[in-house]
Amino acid sequence: MEKKPSLVLLVAFTLFIVGVIGTVILPYFDGEINEPTANAEARNYKVDSAEARGREVYIQNGCQTCHTQFVRSVQADINQNLGPATAGGDYKYDLPHLMGSNRTGPDLMWVGTRWNESWQRQHLIDPQSTSPGSIMPSFAYLSEQEMKDLIAYLMSLKPADAKPK
Amino acid sequence: MFSNEKNSAAKLWFVTAVFWLLLGMSLGLTTAIKQISPDFLNYQITTYGHIRSSHVMLVIYAWLSMAYVASMLYMIPKLARTTLYSEKLGNVSAVLYNIVMLEGFVSLLMGQTSVIEYGEFPVWVDVQVILVLVLVAHNIFKTIAQRQEKVLYVSIWYFLGSLLWLPLTYIIGNLPASWYPSGTEQALAGWFLGHNAIGLWMTTVGVGQIYYLLPKLTGRPLYSHELSMIGFWTIATFYVWNGPHHLMNGPVPGWILKAGIIPSLLLLIPVWTVFHNFFATMKGAWHKVKDDVTLRFVVAGSIFYLMACIQGPLQALPSVSSLVKFTHWTVGHAHMGPLGAFSFTSFAAGYYMIQQITGNEFWSKKLQEAHFWFSTIGFLLFSFSLWTAGIIQGFAWIEGKSFLDTVLMVRPYVIARAIGGTMLIAGQFLFAFNIYKTFKAKQSSVVSEGNAVATA
Ligand code: HEC
Repeated sequence: MEKKPSLVLLVAFTLFIVGVIGTVILPYFDGEINEPTANAEARNYKVDSAEARGREVYIQNGCQTCHTQFVRSVQADINQNLGPATAGGDYKYDLPHLMGSNRTGPDLMWVGTRWNESWQRQHLIDPQSTSPGSIMPSFAYLSEQEMKDLIAYLMSLKPADAKPK
Repeated sequence: MFSNEKNSAAKLWFVTAVFWLLLGMSLGLTTAIKQISPDFLNYQITTYGHIRSSHVMLVIYAWLSMAYVASMLYMIPKLARTTLYSEKLGNVSAVLYNIVMLEGFVSLLMGQTSVIEYGEFPVWVDVQVILVLVLVAHNIFKTIAQRQEKVLYVSIWYFLGSLLWLPLTYIIGNLPASWYPSGTEQALAGWFLGHNAIGLWMTTVGVGQIYYLLPKLTGRPLYSHELSMIGFWTIATFYVWNGPHHLMNGPVPGWILKAGIIPSLLLLIPVWTVFHNFFATMKGAWHKVKDDVTLRFVVAGSIFYLMACIQGPLQALPSVSSLVKFTHWTVGHAHMGPLGAFSFTSFAAGYYMIQQITGNEFWSKKLQEAHFWFSTIGFLLFSFSLWTAGIIQGFAWIEGKSFLDTVLMVRPYVIARAIGGTMLIAGQFLFAFNIYKTFKAKQSSVVSEGNAVATA
């Protein structure tokens, strides 16, 4: 093999594919992560609804770089009162997913239960006014429409059973 | 306009990589400052998220990946005892890659992101990234095919594997969001990319650099080729299984997480092979570290690699993960590989290649020393502050402190991180200036030699 680059490549490719099958393809057949939950249905926004547009505003302005939407059943998340731990099926329609990897700010998976619209607006325009010392930047530059949509999206982030139907 | 001169492609890739190094790191420092004073440069284009995303994408895919391509374009012909298949193609692909990186940068500033970490460029940019990588791989595979040296040195194994894995990994994590059956599935594919961009590209090319540079710089043969082969195959076998540990304690079934934990622990095998080889080769050559900055960068980079690889498997354990995940710790850890380990080995590769290409010593040895110490001390300050901040934050969350309190609590460490970052960047400006002067000195010596010949 020390003289055959094509053989090295072939074996390297095979090992790679085995890993892909194990960690990316097999999970596809696991119902637990692919069956939509009630929470997933509650977030299955209609195309061009305020929530769907607000989600785009969230993405385009990089909220996901500071906020996760990923609640675990571990001490930290329980004691921070982040709400119910998230299940795989909750993210059925969450594409692109916004789980995030870093909490420079708190988790927002269920933030719709914590504040009302006017607090959200005030906080987005001037975070330090509601949360003195906060390092969240101001989003006062958003247009009125974007602001409304974003708030609608944030308010929709609730467990399905907390929603008045 | 595209040169056919020997090593011109490696040179162009490296020099433009250094430009992205300065830009990418400045974006990193901007991110750090924004975490201290959020009003700093707070406009729509330069809002925190845009700057952070372009920092991550540019240091990895522009600076580091381009320095890697430069290393391969230089090292592979040497190891294969042949010339590069096409310098011209190498130069064309360098120009194209720079254009693609610029497109990626602009689209992130405009808020076009595909969200997936380490895969944030929008799809239309991703397609071009892949196309140029294929051009590069083509050039290198052709070079290997025309080799005079039949036995493949271990670095070539690593380079070959990496050139195959990177495009495949990149595609798996970057498919359009609507093609994935669910957000959780996309997260698995995304972390497959997030982890393997490190495992099957940054690590493997970096280890290839170490195996190339160590014997050259110490003047001693590599201790064991067999051991390095074991390292190669264990990386190839186990690294691919590591993506799921990024979703530890999260919304995926237990069996997937276990499939992520065990290989994480097994990764200690390839790390051990690199280290055994490293120490055995270095034996009797340690005194050289004192005078040779290039070798010192290889040594420091290798040690940071070891540290990263001790942290990694630990963090994959559910208990440790539940303390440090989502905190500043993760950010500290994420910099170990790409910055501490493999940017350092790439600095070494840059110093080595440029000296070989110009046939001259570097313009200033003092600046080289300064580059080393600013980078090393800056990096240590940077990472120790983040690790400490992360652990403090992790415990404070468990105690149920209000989130805002936990932000205020770690402020001194976040400031220390920015100071470390400033030192790091200062070091890189010295590096860039030294490279510029070295090429300039070479040019003027060529011109004066030319004049001497003309008048003689
Ligand atoms: C630099 C990081 C950063 C960015 C970017 C950021 N935030 Fe924040 N966010 C924070 C921090 C820190 C807090 C906690 C202090 C506070 O309430 O301001 C926070 C708090 C919040 C809260 C209150 C959460 C709670 O449970 O009390 C909401 C809602 C929120 N952010 C929404 C957003 C939205 C929407 C965006 C994007 C438009 C965004 N954030 C961008 C850092 C950030």
